[in-house]
Amino acid sequence: MTKLNRNAALLLVPGLGIFLAFLVLPLANVVEESFRYFEPGRVGAAKDAPYTLLNYTELFDKAYLYYFLTTVRFGVMSSLIALVLAFPIAYYIARQPSQLIRKCAIGFLIGMMFLSTLVRVYALQLSFGPTGIAKHLAGFLDVSMNGRFYTEMIVVFGLLHYLVPISAITLLGTIQNVNPRLSEAAQALGAPRWVSHLTVTIPLSVPGLLSAFLICFTLCLSAFVVPMILGKGKVLFVSNLIYARFSEIANYPSGSAVSVMMLILSLLIVYGVTSFVTARWIKN
Amino acid sequence: MVIAMVITFVFLVAPIIVAIMMSFDGRSYLGRFPPPSYSIQWYTNFFSDTYYLAGLRTSLVIAVITTLVSTAAGVSAAIVIDRYEFPGKQALETLFLSPLVVPAVVIGFALLLFFALIGVFQGYPRLLAGHIIITLPYTVRTTLAGLVGIRKSLTEAAMVLGANERQAFWDVTFPLARTGIVAGAVFAFAFSMDDVAVSLFLTSPDTYTLPVAMVSMMRTNFDLTIAAAAVVLMVFTVGLIFLLEWLIGLERLIGGGVFRS
Repeated sequence: MTKLNRNAALLLVPGLGIFLAFLVLPLANVVEESFRYFEPGRVGAAKDAPYTLLNYTELFDKAYLYYFLTTVRFGVMSSLIALVLAFPIAYYIARQPSQLIRKCAIGFLIGMMFLSTLVRVYALQLSFGPTGIAKHLAGFLDVSMNGRFYTEMIVVFGLLHYLVPISAITLLGTIQNVNPRLSEAAQALGAPRWVSHLTVTIPLSVPGLLSAFLICFTLCLSAFVVPMILGKGKVLFVSNLIYARFSEIANYPSGSAVSVMMLILSLLIVYGVTSFVTARWIKN
Repeated sequence: MVIAMVITFVFLVAPIIVAIMMSFDGRSYLGRFPPPSYSIQWYTNFFSDTYYLAGLRTSLVIAVITTLVSTAAGVSAAIVIDRYEFPGKQALETLFLSPLVVPAVVIGFALLLFFALIGVFQGYPRLLAGHIIITLPYTVRTTLAGLVGIRKSLTEAAMVLGANERQAFWDVTFPLARTGIVAGAVFAFAFSMDDVAVSLFLTSPDTYTLPVAMVSMMRTNFDLTIAAAAVVLMVFTVGLIFLLEWLIGLERLIGGGVFRS
């Protein structure tokens, strides 16, 4: 590692410039806007509106906590299910001897990851909506096709469709670095296959599992298109609340306040989960 | 175990198949799956509809420009982070990866407010800014991952043999880092074509991307032209995968891990 000289520092300028202009300054502006007073009927706060904490204090109302709770609830549930579904796939690809199958499987996963959210959501809407198997599936589960449970289930499907490929790719990297000899040794010593995986492979993959969980969870927290279209107005995430604040009521200060709260919340959760799992499972 | 995998696979693929089949539906209305007859009417609809075509054109132009800018800036930043030591490096790395943690809605919203503040109201600059900032973490990260695997002694050997810094980079480091750089560029293109949440905030009435056009059509005229548009986007995605395979090989993208012979 050499020390930075002036010519090399110039290479950082484009990247830093882009970040400053397109991320740091706009976010700072949002934080500033969130403290301004909003008069209903205007678009955004007036240029010289007084500073106030109103936008934040009103967020502690039960109605708003509902949005945060819904988002976190869906996030945790979908991330866990995604991990459970993705782990076998990642394991299968990692231990697969055939190069061709590996290539096709990886290509499939990356393709699924690249697929536009909108295409996914539309495809799911066609498949699980009124034109698809909705009647049959809802009848099979004995719920109403337009009811809350069915809508929530479809939103989870929408999230999973995006999360499973990404988790599988992340976990693939982890499992590939877990020595296969270790679980084979456990089986040679008499453990059945599922026990050897439970006690050897999975604990060794914990850092990767944690990383995959946090990636999934962050993606769920910022999910916007999936709840917007598949939720049909019944399932609303924090992103939808921000969008409504902004585009339907033009209450920019409140939208900004919710955004700031959401950022803080996701940072806290990421930090909390990382510390907890690191302390418990990843000891040196 | 295998059953779970099969069910997951079916779950991932089935909706796509349904969408593709419905896009060839012969009925003139949106009816139950499966379609009784087939036709390409929705595709002729799509390719003759100026609303969709304008969106497609904007999407492509923005994706190309975004990829170029994002890759250039990302690669330069990754080179510096990989090779040099300086105070605040950790913070800088976190900064470059931070757009992944900030929700897309917040980014779109923040950019819209900011551009209104500085008086930029045209769609193109705003869309470009949004797309560049959300794709930059990917170019930085994949390039960095590619650079980390290159032994510094190779560049040093080149310089000992008489090359200056720039020649050493272009002739030694760059070809070896090609995997990471190309991967980053393809990721940037894919995520720029796909983006909905950020673009929804930043479009203007005359400048919109294809996904945004599809969203408004889903709210107003929910017919199967949207399915045709979705399949067109899918074709782009598949094309990108084949491009990745041809340029760097999908195997090298993920790597084999240390225990593969």
